[in-house]
Amino acid sequence: MDLENMFKKKVVPARTDISQAGNKPEVPEGLLRKCNKCGKAIIAEEAKEQNYICPKCGGYFRIPAYRRIELLADEDSFEEWDIELDTDNPLGFKGYPEKLESLRKKTGLREAVVTGHIRIEGMEAAVGVCDGQFLMASMGRAVGEKITRLVERAEKESLPVVLFTCSGGARMQEGMVSLMQMAKTSAALKRHSDAGNLSVNVLTDPTTGGVTASFAMLGDIILAEPKALIGFAGPRVIEQTIRQKLPKGFQRSEFLLEHGFVDRIVERHSLRETLARILKLHSRNESKKIQELPKEEKRKIQKKAVRLRDIPAWERVQLSRKADRPSGNDYIQALFPDFIELHGDRCYGDDKAIAGGIAHFHGMPVTVIAQTKGNTTKENIERNFGMPAPEGYRKALRLMKQAEKFHRPVICFVDTPGAFCGLEAEERGQGEAIARNLYEMSSLQTPILSVVVGEGGSGGALALAAADEVWMLENAVYSILSPEGFASILWKDSGRAEEAARLMKMTSGDLLEQHMVEEVIPEPEELNVQTLGSVTEQLEIKISAFLEEYTSLNMEALLDRRYQRFRGM
Amino acid sequence: MIQKILIANRGEIAVRIIRACREMGIASVAVYSEADAKALHVQLADEAICIGPASAAESYLDMEKIISATIVSGADAIHPGFGFLSENCRFAELCEQCNITFIGPPSQVISRLGNKQEARNTMVSAKVPVIPGTSAAVYDKKEAAALAEEIGYPVIIKAVLGGGGKGMRVAESPEEFAGCFQTAQKEAEASFGDRAMYLEHFLIRPRHIEFQILADRFGHVVHLGERDCSVQRNHQKMIEESPSPAVSEKLRKQMGEAAVKAAEAAGYVNAGTIEFLLDDKNQFYFMEMNTRIQVEHPVTEWVTGIDIVKEQIRIADGKKLSYGQKDIRLTGHAIECRINAENPKKGFRPSPGTITDMYLPGGKGIRVDTAIYSGCEIPPYYDSMIAKLIVWARSRKEAVCKMQSALGEVAIEGVDTNVDYQYGILHHADFLSGDINIGFIEDMEKSREL
Repeated sequence: MDLENMFKKKVVPARTDISQAGNKPEVPEGLLRKCNKCGKAIIAEEAKEQNYICPKCGGYFRIPAYRRIELLADEDSFEEWDIELDTDNPLGFKGYPEKLESLRKKTGLREAVVTGHIRIEGMEAAVGVCDGQFLMASMGRAVGEKITRLVERAEKESLPVVLFTCSGGARMQEGMVSLMQMAKTSAALKRHSDAGNLSVNVLTDPTTGGVTASFAMLGDIILAEPKALIGFAGPRVIEQTIRQKLPKGFQRSEFLLEHGFVDRIVERHSLRETLARILKLHSRNESKKIQELPKEEKRKIQKKAVRLRDIPAWERVQLSRKADRPSGNDYIQALFPDFIELHGDRCYGDDKAIAGGIAHFHGMPVTVIAQTKGNTTKENIERNFGMPAPEGYRKALRLMKQAEKFHRPVICFVDTPGAFCGLEAEERGQGEAIARNLYEMSSLQTPILSVVVGEGGSGGALALAAADEVWMLENAVYSILSPEGFASILWKDSGRAEEAARLMKMTSGDLLEQHMVEEVIPEPEELNVQTLGSVTEQLEIKISAFLEEYTSLNMEALLDRRYQRFRGM
Repeated sequence: MIQKILIANRGEIAVRIIRACREMGIASVAVYSEADAKALHVQLADEAICIGPASAAESYLDMEKIISATIVSGADAIHPGFGFLSENCRFAELCEQCNITFIGPPSQVISRLGNKQEARNTMVSAKVPVIPGTSAAVYDKKEAAALAEEIGYPVIIKAVLGGGGKGMRVAESPEEFAGCFQTAQKEAEASFGDRAMYLEHFLIRPRHIEFQILADRFGHVVHLGERDCSVQRNHQKMIEESPSPAVSEKLRKQMGEAAVKAAEAAGYVNAGTIEFLLDDKNQFYFMEMNTRIQVEHPVTEWVTGIDIVKEQIRIADGKKLSYGQKDIRLTGHAIECRINAENPKKGFRPSPGTITDMYLPGGKGIRVDTAIYSGCEIPPYYDSMIAKLIVWARSRKEAVCKMQSALGEVAIEGVDTNVDYQYGILHHADFLSGDINIGFIEDMEKSREL
């Protein structure tokens, strides 16, 4: 039954009551606003209460600098620096001083950046926050000067620097003076870094132009808010220049993460906690000593003579490749519960076949780098079956260099069939990437431990195993190439892989005998994620002992030992 | 003067409000989601505005859209019905800010009563009995045991951040207490990451008795007697009646006075309901106050002769109540059965679909509040209640007979309903004798009597 027009309706009286015009329902100015992301009407207050996030689409709005600091800082911990500093008018630009004056009145800001000293969950830092309300946070002399002074003071006081960037780029009204701020701020950051200090960037929407091409991209760790526009040239300029439509998501945080320029994308609600964790991992005050494990436990494991089961080589090869065998990521999860993954090679991409980051190991900050396969086919495709591309090795090297700067030992987990073999890998210099790692690792001024947990496929494995010690799991293998490849080169018959496996001396027992590895870790009958505990338990104790021993060596002795380790082979 | 009301709701309550508007000479504006384009309320209202897609979050719960629809249609008031935005203090506040009359209490009152602790404190200071319990979080077992002694056994231990029965235990005696507290706290820690607990005296199988109140802007408060809503399944009411077979004239006076005090203490305006739990010793305790029209308002309307929706509109329009407590008398007995599109044989799974054919009963003393018609769609996105069958007779016994007869006449084709289940309850010996409590349905289901 269709009810359309079936019912008698009341005639709607015209609203003629003028005397009540003042009481007419209307939405007061500013109560509602339109979300510039989803276009829906939202209650302005509600968005503000929820960290300036659209309650309907979850889109991020820009946050005023002082509000950002309030959300970040421990109560009453912010002390502003250089409040009075502002710009002159270097070009004598007409109308510029008036414009600045009206902005100051409107925004309550003196300039486009607020700087000072802050505590985040008790961790001290020098902080700079750009504010887009002020001439799109463009960088003129005042912004450049405030950032530079902040960084210089941080260097003097040995404080980490946290910079929240947001900018349209250089300030046109200040011409070349503005351009020079890029070099000035970058130089200050270099000195700060050379003195061994940490700098962290948080890129927010939009970070473009001269700011991207200077202080925004120079952090040891670069975080970004989701979907922030980040780039050098603005998308409109690029479109006009190349006369092409740009793809969706171009120059957004996710795009930069994929292309290796951002360590992590962090949701606004977890930003404070993430920053605090990063600051804690880099704290100069915190003890960097390993917290000792109970002695008794230690002895128990050390006493246990390693007895390896008698398994044919080919079977071990197959065990090392088993789909449910734990891979790098599983070891990270089991051994480093507070691991923070850091992405990207700062050059081309982020290779998911290698995961790297920082964590505490029994109280000691360490850098962890792990080749990792996936647990499912989908994950395996994403991780390229554990075969790293050049950008994977370059990410690893970048993280190792950072470990060196912050005096953190490096712990690597090796599990790869080999470095990725393909057109793109060669284009981007697979050989160069592996070579560079061997070259740089040989003199990296911090201890390096490498554990082969599955397949140790040739140069692709060695690029993470030019270490002070190399250990293997009982059923891991480590070889010049796969037994199938070996058989097909020597005998033109890959079917003879079983025979090859025996001859190649690639099992943990073989390599222990040849002094290619220092330790072999026994495995349970069936090694999978459920039984991994029995392996990580041993690793935990052995790694502690390794760290204790190697961190107590002087640098010269450490590097000499590493040199001699390979020199003798 | 309210001239045009936008009804921010759907289904039978929207229809109920539109009818009241029409009788009062007020124009009505319906809002509807895309799934409700052919719904009865859309056809009955003088105007109708589509406010978005089927999902409630994007239509009936979207405050900004409803405010926009109000401004665009030139309505000067919003009736929120029940559910959706009816007890959302933010929405009420938004209406106030936009100079739209919200037909309900002021936003501050909604906010105050919506906060459990604040509501409880208000009642304690107004000397309205509340269930004895702790006023601050407890962490320590020993400290809790001492408090339990003060509160009186049996005691229910609940997680402050609780929900879904997690971190909840009933201790019958001091011997059981330590064990119960520990398990509950462990569960709370595992589920909510918080060890904060509170204790409350546990009532064994109480009745759910609620009092309807009306309060105008001038501080006059009256109660319209009680409704007994003890027939509940998973905290969902199924049958409501007025008066309650368990409430004597004397008790009604006591509870009614407490209800009025409660409303006064909260600074209440408009129609509201105070929910009490009543134990077998005739002790009653404040549970919560509902700051909206209730589903079961028709039973009160019938025994008092007062049109509660019209009163809501009058009060919102700034009118005084035209009667006092002494003018209110309960006459006869009214019962309401909720008819839901659901299948009791399949765990009460909702049963959306098209009503292909239907017949609803009528006659003296029978009222049906519904928005269904032959050929209408029951969309899957909203509550499954499709009709309310209400009867009135001079005595409870006669009313029960009338309800039995009326339920027997209901014929709805195309979707599953709980009509037969209700019919079963109406013939159950305990229901007939009036000897029921909030555990009635659970007990019946356990013993497979229903």
